[in-house]
Amino acid sequence: MNYRFDWSVLWSGQTGALLLQGIETTLELSLIGWLIAVVLGVVSGALRTLPIPPLRWLAAGYVEFFRNVPLLVWMFVWYFAVPPLLPQAFQDFLLDHGVEFWAGVFALGVYHGARFAEVIRSGISAIPRTQFEAAASTGLTIAQTYRLVILPVALRLIVPPATNETLALLKNSSIALTIGVAELTFQVRQIETYTAKAFEALVAGTIIYLILCLAISALSAQIERRVAIPGMITKRTMGEA
Amino acid sequence: MKQFFFLGWIVVCGILAVPISGPAQTTLEKIDKSGVLVIGTRTGSPPFAYVNKNNEWVGFCIDLVEKGILPVLHQKLNKNIKVEKKESAPQTRIPLLTSNAVDLIAETMTDTQSRREQVDFSLTYFATGAQFLVKKGSPIKNIQTIAGKRVAAQQGSTNAKLIRERVPSAKLLEFPDQPAAFQALAQGQVQAYTNDGIQLAGLRAKAPRPDDYAVVGEFFSYEPYGMAMRKNDSDFRQAVNVGLMNAISSGLYFEIYDKWFGAKGEVPYPMTAEIKRFLQMQVVPK
Repeated sequence: MNYRFDWSVLWSGQTGALLLQGIETTLELSLIGWLIAVVLGVVSGALRTLPIPPLRWLAAGYVEFFRNVPLLVWMFVWYFAVPPLLPQAFQDFLLDHGVEFWAGVFALGVYHGARFAEVIRSGISAIPRTQFEAAASTGLTIAQTYRLVILPVALRLIVPPATNETLALLKNSSIALTIGVAELTFQVRQIETYTAKAFEALVAGTIIYLILCLAISALSAQIERRVAIPGMITKRTMGEA
Repeated sequence: MKQFFFLGWIVVCGILAVPISGPAQTTLEKIDKSGVLVIGTRTGSPPFAYVNKNNEWVGFCIDLVEKGILPVLHQKLNKNIKVEKKESAPQTRIPLLTSNAVDLIAETMTDTQSRREQVDFSLTYFATGAQFLVKKGSPIKNIQTIAGKRVAAQQGSTNAKLIRERVPSAKLLEFPDQPAAFQALAQGQVQAYTNDGIQLAGLRAKAPRPDDYAVVGEFFSYEPYGMAMRKNDSDFRQAVNVGLMNAISSGLYFEIYDKWFGAKGEVPYPMTAEIKRFLQMQVVPK
């Protein structure tokens, strides 16, 4: 390969600052998007298991509509199609205050919310029927049953798939660059432009994403260990204590 | 913890493995063997390179390659060479070249000193500068009047960098491609879109209602377009340059220019006498 490597571009000039800004934006985008996704996911995942058909249909409609359209399309919808529907004054305010960031947050949150919903639903389905019956026989309402009995258990069961979803969300946040959000991948491309060092910039981006994701994995492995319900989850892989 | 160290090692080894180079093969040898010249160009950059209404991938750059450079390769290699087109973007074009995926970048790529550290350029085949595309009647007239305004630019372009340095108060929004940036302008997400003047003229000509838009401002940058090639491959570079020089001196270049930028072309953009002279002076004697 006819290419001269020069790794110093990664810390000389403004490159370091660009990368840090990118990491910050990626984390903000992912964190707020994640919070939205979890709230939407828990609510609609729970609704999909209720014995009340209209609520079930509503939640199913949300899940199928949002998870079956590509995230890239949602980014464009939230950025280009939603603001014109708002009142003019509010629209101008948004346009002057980073509407692309919020469009990215909502696109990520609502899309991944639909995917989280399925994770939560599978967690709830994994809980034995007897738990619902026991809760009902002690006089709990449906809302109380979910809040006090079912969800606390379901949330502890779904840590591994939820981690998967979280990692996917973090990496999908890079799609926000299509609507001009200056996140990590955007900055990596920026560095390529300024320095013409494409490989160095890409390797830096790769390593940063890897570190962020490994940190999330490590954190959720801790959580998984802490919240595991003895007797409900089979022991972790043999040899790993 | 063990598995983390292991992963770390994989990453480190991966990085160290990259610079190991394969057997050197010149671009001419590669073209001779495959019978194909692979060019990296654009699908959405009228009239330089774009997909037209009949779904054909055409443009000024593509004509220069097919009519100007290809005959030189024919002669040099003494065989028929086909052109294969691949989509390239500002972020991918240098890696496409260095990884041998394409042999020549023929699109609106500005020749710069920092890029010359990585790739070699042909002679300048087009010269333009940055301007603004705005909606008719916009208060934005030039770079002096964009302070505090929302301005779109193309990611990876030299113009975005210039705006950031010269007018830090402008709210700069960068989009990966022309259509997204134009959509943002059409919808009012941004008040102006900056790019090379000729590209803005092309975008305006392709707009549903061209009269609603105007290209404004004097050039605030100098953007000489060159075709990029792998570094240190002077035989191929010579072939490309001879192709371009022959086209200019035989008048073929100006015929192609007229086809795309003439009064009846896709984007009417008359050539100034200054530019014509500049092109002709790049031609060295045979």
